[in-house]
Amino acid sequence: MKRIRQISVFVENRPGRLLEVVDLLGKNGINIKALSLADSSDFGIVRLVVKGVDDAIKVLKENGFTVRETPIIACMIEDKPGSLAKILKTLAENEINIEYMYGFASPIEGKAVMVFKFSETEKAQEILDKHNIKMLTQEEIREI
Amino acid sequence: MIYDDEMETLPREALEALQLKRLQNTVERVYNLVPFYRRKFEEAKVKPEDIKSLDDLKRLPFTTKQDLRDNYPFGLFTIPLEQVVRVHASSGTTGKPTVVGYSKRDVDVWSDLMARSLAATGVTKGDIIQNAYGYGLFTGGLGVHYGGERLGATVIPISGGNTKKQIMIMKDFGSTVLTATPSYTLYLAETMKEMGIKREELKLKVGILGAEPWSDEMRKAIEEKLGIDALDIYGLSEIMGPGVAIECIEAKNGLHIWEDAFIPEIIDPETGEVLPDGEEGELVITTILKEAIPLIRYRTRDITRIIKEPCKCGRTHRRIERIKGRTDDMLIIRGVNIFPSQIESLLMETEGVEPHYQIIVDRVNNLDTMEIIVEVSENIFSDEIKHLQKLKERIEKDIKDLYGITVKVTLSEPKTLQRFEGKAKRVIDKRKI
Repeated sequence: MKRIRQISVFVENRPGRLLEVVDLLGKNGINIKALSLADSSDFGIVRLVVKGVDDAIKVLKENGFTVRETPIIACMIEDKPGSLAKILKTLAENEINIEYMYGFASPIEGKAVMVFKFSETEKAQEILDKHNIKMLTQEEIREI
Repeated sequence: MIYDDEMETLPREALEALQLKRLQNTVERVYNLVPFYRRKFEEAKVKPEDIKSLDDLKRLPFTTKQDLRDNYPFGLFTIPLEQVVRVHASSGTTGKPTVVGYSKRDVDVWSDLMARSLAATGVTKGDIIQNAYGYGLFTGGLGVHYGGERLGATVIPISGGNTKKQIMIMKDFGSTVLTATPSYTLYLAETMKEMGIKREELKLKVGILGAEPWSDEMRKAIEEKLGIDALDIYGLSEIMGPGVAIECIEAKNGLHIWEDAFIPEIIDPETGEVLPDGEEGELVITTILKEAIPLIRYRTRDITRIIKEPCKCGRTHRRIERIKGRTDDMLIIRGVNIFPSQIESLLMETEGVEPHYQIIVDRVNNLDTMEIIVEVSENIFSDEIKHLQKLKERIEKDIKDLYGITVKVTLSEPKTLQRFEGKAKRVIDKRKI
């Protein structure tokens, strides 16, 4: 299974809440590989890809956060103009809907990593496989 | 103006004699026709023939809202449904409402009492009543409507809401009387100001306001903004509906309770002991003219006191003071009665929601607002905003559908709600009434 583990954290929409999440992980030696913040008028969801998922979940829960783990897909693409557009075009042509996506902080020289949550994960994976788009495993995420 | 001169100014002695006769008839009626009452009377070891004076009333057992629920829907009716011409209901804790029925004569008596009430505020048959109480299961709309027609006034059955249209009609039709909740009246006044309509452009002279607690400060604000007399009306569906008690325009101090139809008592809500006139406690009402569903010593949960001093208007029926509050946790939001437990059971029925919630009631721009803060547990948490939004909207819609009030649901992190002595404080009422 080419899935990676994403942690989602519920936060109220008020100053300093994101800091608390990030600070907690930092103090516990957990490295954040990728992060995105989705917000509505009164709450937000922090989505994280980290090194040390189990520790991260444990420490967040211990500190009273509501946490959920979601399997998502991480694609490695060329770090050059037009490569993201190419992937999105393939997905669009095959009518794959993206729920949300975000990028990794500088992973490997010359490469970029994007994470996706699709409405139909199985189907998306098939399409990506067929078009030889490289998907990362949890082990590979740990390495980068 | 006094609508029924003979009855409204009946000397106390004659009034009390009439009350006793009607009480005896009612007690006899419920004892013979309603198994629930017979059982309760037997448990209290009292028989109809024991009621020899008004003082004997206190020997009878109380009736509560729970008793109405336990006998849902028609269990306390004394007449078969074919003789019932109308039913009304108010919301109940588990979604099941409290149901009341009316015989033809009940509707007739109600219309008379309501006509009396309107007349006591100075309304005559020449008036145009803009009735902004809700029509439907709630008694407010139809109660005022029938009373207004009985009096011979012109009734505009506009019901609640649609504020700008209300104001247009009020102006164009030349409405002279407004019947509404006090908070809605203030909201109307604010909206008028926004629309650039001055009070001089209206013919409004009196507001008959009720269905929720209010204060003399609110009265002053309404009177100043609209240039009217604002009078308090009291009623509850279990007893009849609006028109149980009314403030007279002459004194504007306390509400005359129509004692030829109702016997009021004030009790200590803890002990159930009857308190003397003038002392504050819970209002208990016995209906002595109702046919379909007479209630014996019904506990209203409303806190007030009886003013026994005669009123300058000449009516002999005693007055109750403006309702001060409740002995239970019932909230009145824009005239709608709602218990925190109703919100709780609705949340519990929503999949995955844990009973960690808080209700915040406030009054913004003179309108009651209710916010429900729900803690997000792992069961309902999702990595997608739209799922959480949907959950929020579903709760808001369910409450709107069931209780007819618009609430705002806010999702919060777990354990952010204050907890007192291990128990969460469920309701925070910020309204300054």
